[in-house]
Amino acid sequence: MAELTNSRCAIVGVGVTQQGRGIGIGNRELRRQALDLALDDAGLRRPDIDGYIACHGTPGFEDLRYLGLAPHFSWGLASGGATAISALIAARGVLALEQASYVALCYGLAPSSLQLPAGIGGYGYGYPELFGMVGPSTSHALHAQRHMHLYGTTSEQLGAVAVTQRAYAVERPGTLGCGKPFTLDDHQRSRMICDPLRLLDCCRDTDGGVCLIVTTAERARDLRGQPVRMLGTGTGHSIRNWYDKSVYAHHDDIAPAKERAFAEAGIGIDAVDVAALYDPFTISVIMQLEDYGFCAPGEGGPFVAAGETGPNGRIPTNTGGGQLSGYYATGFTALVEALLQLRGQGGATQVPGAEVGLVSGHGGNGGVQNTWAHATALLGAGL
Amino acid sequence: MSAPIRHPLDLAPDDLDRPFWEACQRHEFLLQRSSVTGRYHWPAVCDPESGRDGMEWVPASGRGTVHTFSIIHQVFRPELVDRVPYNVVVVELEEGPFFHSNVVDCPNEEIHIGMPVEVVFDDVSDEVTLPLFRPVGSGG
Repeated sequence: MAELTNSRCAIVGVGVTQQGRGIGIGNRELRRQALDLALDDAGLRRPDIDGYIACHGTPGFEDLRYLGLAPHFSWGLASGGATAISALIAARGVLALEQASYVALCYGLAPSSLQLPAGIGGYGYGYPELFGMVGPSTSHALHAQRHMHLYGTTSEQLGAVAVTQRAYAVERPGTLGCGKPFTLDDHQRSRMICDPLRLLDCCRDTDGGVCLIVTTAERARDLRGQPVRMLGTGTGHSIRNWYDKSVYAHHDDIAPAKERAFAEAGIGIDAVDVAALYDPFTISVIMQLEDYGFCAPGEGGPFVAAGETGPNGRIPTNTGGGQLSGYYATGFTALVEALLQLRGQGGATQVPGAEVGLVSGHGGNGGVQNTWAHATALLGAGL
Repeated sequence: MSAPIRHPLDLAPDDLDRPFWEACQRHEFLLQRSSVTGRYHWPAVCDPESGRDGMEWVPASGRGTVHTFSIIHQVFRPELVDRVPYNVVVVELEEGPFFHSNVVDCPNEEIHIGMPVEVVFDDVSDEVTLPLFRPVGSGG
């Protein structure tokens, strides 16, 4: 098989709209604003976009006309919080096969305008709903309870995740937590949602749009923007963990995603300068730190409590506040944060000299609770 | 406000699990078993090794242990307002599969991982019977 010379790709345009609760802008207008910001960032125009991937859970039938785009294809990609990285992987394939030159990954959702009776928190997932099991917080509480049982992880250690990320968000303009610090006591006093998860263990859905433009490394050289290159990507699905009954012992099926991404990048975990881990709930960060190998299995709680994910820790993690304290853009939150860090645009929480970022995403149910896709992206500063 | 009674199959993509829910109405607990690999499954599946061949619904013990659980305090839907706080458990059945349910006849504070439980059927309507679990030895 001939070498796919264009498989080296870069993200050359980043567009992030206002993010927040009930900001009063509709779905497609969020996508439009994100697209225009990304085009401007990359120095591209609408006619340059010849591939479109709708990343908001629907085929995006009505997107193109409103956005004024005329691509060769428009695909909907729906894998929950794994959608963003999955779309990056799809874009790489498209570019490598020379099906397009500039692919726009567009996300824009206003959950506050969805008119769900109970919001995302009230989603049902099939039979478990018969027993009152609804919403993602319940499924993550099952992980947290099991992790506590296996390793002695404590509520205070979960709280350390929330407090660490809030401290990042306090200094990041435009986030939910900006200028609003909280303490471990605040976490411990916050009301119980799904034992052992308290209110401050959970993220909130927010409105917002994100657009990323991806092209080949070769084309990226000619653009004015600040490119971030894709070093390696990988996927795994925890339906595998359902079959071997380790589904509650692992947050996700990270092993194959990690192996593939790091092998392709040709680096080890020690090369990662900054991590942006999908964090709908505090337990998610602890269990991913373990499965990626930043610490040993069961050590995630003490690792975070010791400050190792903070600004001076071994692996600064979710440096914009993450979903917990930043904003919830269904998988794009983490990706955007890594891009900002690798461009040196992290502001007060910039990790000095960050050159390699690890991004994760998960979501898209596999038919039973707690089974979902996981996707890994390793990104590198510059070309 | 009490929870509306929903038929389990209303939550499923099709009626592949109908034999299970009909057996519940007879107070029988079934699982799917592959006669090729001997492996048990729930709900209806293809065995990852042997596929659909030899897959059959068979009577199961209805016994297991609590693998993990949560006590739910948040009212995620209006119809659940009278239930909080309530438990959701994942039972690891003796035959292997996980089964989501509720533990009854036991205070929430006493539920713990590893607790032995057995099925008890709750006839919530003429059409719907739900398999719940109680601590082994608690029933009469």
